[in-house]
Amino acid sequence: MNLPSPLELWRRFQRSAVGRSVFRVGLPQSSLERAQAMVSSFVLHIQPAKTHRHSLKPGYSLGLGLISLYLFFLLFATGLLLMFYYVPSTERAYDSMKDLQFVVSAGLLIRNMHRWAAHLMVLFVMLHLCRVFYTGSYKSPREFNWVIGVCLFLLTLGLSFTGYLLPWDQLAFWAITVGTNIAAYAPVIGPKMKYVMLGGNAVGQEALVRFYALHVIVLPAIAAFLISLHLWRVRKDGGLSRPAELDEPVTQVEAPRLPTAKTYGLMELARGTTPQVGADPDEFVLSWPHLIFRELLLFLLVVVVLLFLAIFWNAPLEEMANAIHPPNPAKAPWYFLGLQELVSYSALWGGVIVPGLLVGVLVLLPYLDGKPRGVGKWFAHERIVANSVFTVCLITAIILTIIGTWFRGPNWAWQQPWKPVAAHTEAH
Amino acid sequence: MDPRLMGFMNSPTPQTESDYSRRGFVQLAFGWAAGAFALAASAAGALRFLVPNVLYEPSLQFKAGRPDDYADGSVTFLEEERVFLIRKGNTYRCLSATCTHLGCTVDRAEKGYHCPCHGSVFDEQGMVRGGPAPRPLAWFLVTLSKDNRLLVDKAQTVTPDKPLVT
Repeated sequence: MNLPSPLELWRRFQRSAVGRSVFRVGLPQSSLERAQAMVSSFVLHIQPAKTHRHSLKPGYSLGLGLISLYLFFLLFATGLLLMFYYVPSTERAYDSMKDLQFVVSAGLLIRNMHRWAAHLMVLFVMLHLCRVFYTGSYKSPREFNWVIGVCLFLLTLGLSFTGYLLPWDQLAFWAITVGTNIAAYAPVIGPKMKYVMLGGNAVGQEALVRFYALHVIVLPAIAAFLISLHLWRVRKDGGLSRPAELDEPVTQVEAPRLPTAKTYGLMELARGTTPQVGADPDEFVLSWPHLIFRELLLFLLVVVVLLFLAIFWNAPLEEMANAIHPPNPAKAPWYFLGLQELVSYSALWGGVIVPGLLVGVLVLLPYLDGKPRGVGKWFAHERIVANSVFTVCLITAIILTIIGTWFRGPNWAWQQPWKPVAAHTEAH
Repeated sequence: MDPRLMGFMNSPTPQTESDYSRRGFVQLAFGWAAGAFALAASAAGALRFLVPNVLYEPSLQFKAGRPDDYADGSVTFLEEERVFLIRKGNTYRCLSATCTHLGCTVDRAEKGYHCPCHGSVFDEQGMVRGGPAPRPLAWFLVTLSKDNRLLVDKAQTVTPDKPLVT
């Protein structure tokens, strides 16, 4: 007896009445069907039917934005699972963390995945921002998409920060105490903002519920909306950025200026009024399978790396929150340690002025530096000034973060990480 | 919607753009004003909703026991209240243990106080002697209650030279 292969069975299912009602195209066999597969699918139609070869080069985009998106999906999935056990009350929050660690099947793994994905997402959103800067991709026509991206970066930090309080351990309690007190240094509205954020004067039950609501619905909903907008704009602004030379016709034929009264096809209208004579169509390849396959592969890679991290490293959980004894030193999450180091010199500078200026400049960047030169190339020579300024800021931030992470010991005093820390004495 | 329609939705006969009647204008203005007011009021209500009216936090006033509970010359840390109670002779003072920098709890050092979070140093009078703290530690009002207990009010700050003298 000859059994049909799984592929053949799949094909038969697709040809059946049920299969045809579900999949409009089926596994595509021709170029036409490959284009149709992209256009007619709800999930895939956010991507173009054809993709420029330049966009597919792994060395250009490094897949950083896509990795951030996948991490967001994975955070959504693992976070949803954690919600089935987590109780946002000061009496039970810490116990539910212990349950997740020691009682719930796969609870430890799910929590580890959520924690590491959160850290990775902050990291990859930052790297994505750097990539877009160094390739000059925030310039026309992508200015507004850069602004949306900066908002998404801040949302990512907000999501991570609100999630930080939920385990209700010492790390959570003191990181949020320090963080909200930094916010209170903002001029005029600072103290009121802290009061509303915490729902009181100190971190307690009200603050926990507020951070929970922000973490599980308010911020993710806003982020999901902005991510959709961000991806939509990538499409509408012409896909990933690439050097302008690539879009110039290969054979320079002087196209006769056609009378404007002529009715053009939609494709011609979308890109100027002169049809591109001699443009090489071979620079574009079908998204199915060239783009889809790469995306799927990257997703598998992200899942594998995350699983690897979650299996071999446990998310930290310190003692239960204790308002009387701050740990010494009390440190914020790593992505805020640069700020905390600045705050240890001056709270106003580190907590308000420097972060305020950074966010302001980042948002306004495409409008301050709008000259459309050096777009689509890493470290373009035309952008040497902008790239140098950005690199100096970046290195400063990295150095401050390294100092805050490894060179600060008890009492925020200078320490050398390769020397053993002197046992610190409890004063009371 | 066609902007011309907005003002004349209630008018009996359709009119052209040049025919903005007084009634049409008033209807338009009131309609938009009412809509804007409804939105603004809802937003204001939602914002006010987020500011709590009742706090389930410990009272800012508390009794700290009898004066005799504290030895002469002692500095006692009261954990629950995050304050230091200081007796010198027959004077009693109460010093906040909340660092004015970012709200960590300061530790008693050999001389003065030390914040573990960002290394602020305060002297015996709570004055800043080092680190990023912007203000001195607060001194709270200490009085004697009718039943002869020390009564501390964390809502009222005093200068360090205003102790309770018994």
